[in-house]
Amino acid sequence: MDFLAQHQLYIVLIIAVGIWLGLYIYLFRLDGRLKKLERELHREQH
Amino acid sequence: MTLRIVLGVLLTLVIVAALGLPIVQQPQHWYEFPSIPGLEEKARIIFFHVPTAWLSVMAFVTSMIYGIRYLRRKDPIDDLTSASAAGLGLLFCVLATVTGAVWAKFNWGSYWNWDPRETSIFVLLLIYGAYFSLRAAVEVEEKRATLSSVYSIIAAVTVPFFVFIMPRIMTGLHPGAKGDPDGAGPVIEFKMSPNMRVVFFSSLIAFTLLFLWMLSLRVRIARLEYHHQPKG
Repeated sequence: MDFLAQHQLYIVLIIAVGIWLGLYIYLFRLDGRLKKLERELHREQH
Repeated sequence: MTLRIVLGVLLTLVIVAALGLPIVQQPQHWYEFPSIPGLEEKARIIFFHVPTAWLSVMAFVTSMIYGIRYLRRKDPIDDLTSASAAGLGLLFCVLATVTGAVWAKFNWGSYWNWDPRETSIFVLLLIYGAYFSLRAAVEVEEKRATLSSVYSIIAAVTVPFFVFIMPRIMTGLHPGAKGDPDGAGPVIEFKMSPNMRVVFFSSLIAFTLLFLWMLSLRVRIARLEYHHQPKG
């Protein structure tokens, strides 16, 4: 804890990486779901 | 798939390097960034603020290109792509404004100073806010697409003036303004050390990939909505 208190920038770093990874996982899952939906709709049409 | 994984790893590394590597007066090791006079620790914003501003320009130009394509081919997907790019441009423009305002608080003393750079980005936000007001106001699909395509071209013509010209020909607080003793600013003048440049350009590449990914997702969703909307 002392280390983080002295190096507050690392707290910013942890939060920034957390936000980015959250956004990345969201986009990745959205991409997967979208691909599935596109495939299903394509199959329905043909 | 590979590009998405490259993006994930690259941007994580950029964030870790940009915020985690030390800034010192006399760098002794490869991982230390030199202190830029007047910026010191606050120089870290370059790795995030500049790419967001760059992406908003890229998005607005993309919006214009697809606007032109719509006017030539009358393909509704071009209009949806143009609107999606403008939406992302507005998002990155807001991010550039917010990150800039936070930086201004610590460098200039207050979040908003009506500096030429801040005024020009504010006008840009208004211009693209009006683009979406225009889209929301016209109900007929074809008319909406034509009007907003023309507007996207006119709006993009103003972008270089507000981003690159006006803040540089007027005296102001932002690095690179007229009368800045450091010249055109740390990015244009390449005041950054080689290791800072690697992180900076990696950040530019990563943010550009992120933009392209987000744009493709938005266009795919818009295309599905367009082709599968209830007819009648």
